[in-house]
Amino acid sequence: MRGLNLGDFLFLIEAARWTILLSLSAFIGGGIIGAIIALMRVSKRWTLRYGAIGYIQVFQGTPLLLQLFLVFFGSDMLGLPLNPWVAATLGLSLNAGAFLGEIWRGAIQAVARTQVEAAEALGLHYLPIMRHIVLPQALRIGVAPTVGFLVNLVKATSLASIIGFIELTRAGQQLNNVTFRPFTIYMSVAVIYFLLCWPLTIASRRLERRMAVAYRR
Amino acid sequence: MKLLKFLMVGLLAVGFAGHARAQTTDEIISRGTINIGILTDLPPYGFLDENQKPAGFDVEVAEMLGKFMGVKVNLVPLTSPNRIPFLVTGKVDLLVATFGITPERAKTVTFSIPYSAIENSVFARKDSGISKLEDLKGKRVGVPRGSVQDVLLSNALGTTAKIQRFDDDASTYQALIAGQVDAIAETGLTGRQLFAKTPEANLEERFILLRQPNGITMRKDQFNLRQWVDTFVYYIKVDGELAATWTKWFKTDFPVLPVF
Repeated sequence: MRGLNLGDFLFLIEAARWTILLSLSAFIGGGIIGAIIALMRVSKRWTLRYGAIGYIQVFQGTPLLLQLFLVFFGSDMLGLPLNPWVAATLGLSLNAGAFLGEIWRGAIQAVARTQVEAAEALGLHYLPIMRHIVLPQALRIGVAPTVGFLVNLVKATSLASIIGFIELTRAGQQLNNVTFRPFTIYMSVAVIYFLLCWPLTIASRRLERRMAVAYRR
Repeated sequence: MKLLKFLMVGLLAVGFAGHARAQTTDEIISRGTINIGILTDLPPYGFLDENQKPAGFDVEVAEMLGKFMGVKVNLVPLTSPNRIPFLVTGKVDLLVATFGITPERAKTVTFSIPYSAIENSVFARKDSGISKLEDLKGKRVGVPRGSVQDVLLSNALGTTAKIQRFDDDASTYQALIAGQVDAIAETGLTGRQLFAKTPEANLEERFILLRQPNGITMRKDQFNLRQWVDTFVYYIKVDGELAATWTKWFKTDFPVLPVF
């Protein structure tokens, strides 16, 4: 047992850096997977569509905690040991991919079907239709819910502590176990999470308002 | 949480069926590094010091082990719930993590001869009238999930007491201080220190539940490594280094530890 010192708070802030990095890399990884899933989900081929639906069902229907656990310890069973950082990024990316895929599928399908039909009538192929007509509009629709999801992702990184990844929440736990000052420590942890998520929430709301203006007819 | 436990057990079983790697002393020496799992949640066995670095009795024993083996020590901070998965999947070579030696656990892992001991005590309000195991009947009792005291109380009391399981030691203490439970079973030393520092909580040690020797923990197939670790523990016991480290952290004499 010992008292709290200034270094402990710096330790929390340093751990928050891992929370931020993990959120960012999971968002990038999840974004790539999500884009593929979203495109598969709106594909005309039923195999791709059902593949994407299956993926989404599995990752939305099981707890993220278990997914992280399976990726981390399961990788050893397959003889491909991953370190906690890679496993956490991979697990969170796979999970975020399912949610982002659904968000972006909604955004793509929100673009009026008639536009695609008109483009097809003009003889455009899949890629140019997606690139020049559907995606630029879908992107604007999807921005606000995507940022909203990012807020959840930041908080979800706390689950990475199960696989020994020391991020903000786990760092707080470690300090609490030696100082027995739960209120001071967990309040500080909560404040740091809030400071990370609040700007995102504001950005999300602003974007939503701006998009609403863009779509007022 | 039940599902998680189920999955952990499942993974352990798979680990034993196929993958668990045999690791010998020579393999670790030629690699030049040993990965040792420690706890950072259990002062003074293992915790974060003023500089937020792992410190404590277990940490020093781990460093000593590396010194005698002639390899660099890579400390891996673990928690009580995840230390076994880390060990059996080969993510650490061994645990110096205050792991109590029980026949139940020996079905899953293998232990060195004891290198330390831990006392588990029941803490409650000074006017609670709790002084023996039977007094806990009908009470709410807090324990850290999956700990030795969890198993012991669950077996001894069954459904006659309401056993509440918490994620770590600090939460268990906090539950008692906040009045969410009537008593807790916790590490004697930490609890005594904590409640001596917070007299206003009106809590104290009521009785000692058990004294438990701990072993350095390895996978079941690490016979060769275990032979070396046993020799190491024996040696630092005989030359007094282990006892000196113990006294440094616990301010008491090194307990008499049975061997097997």
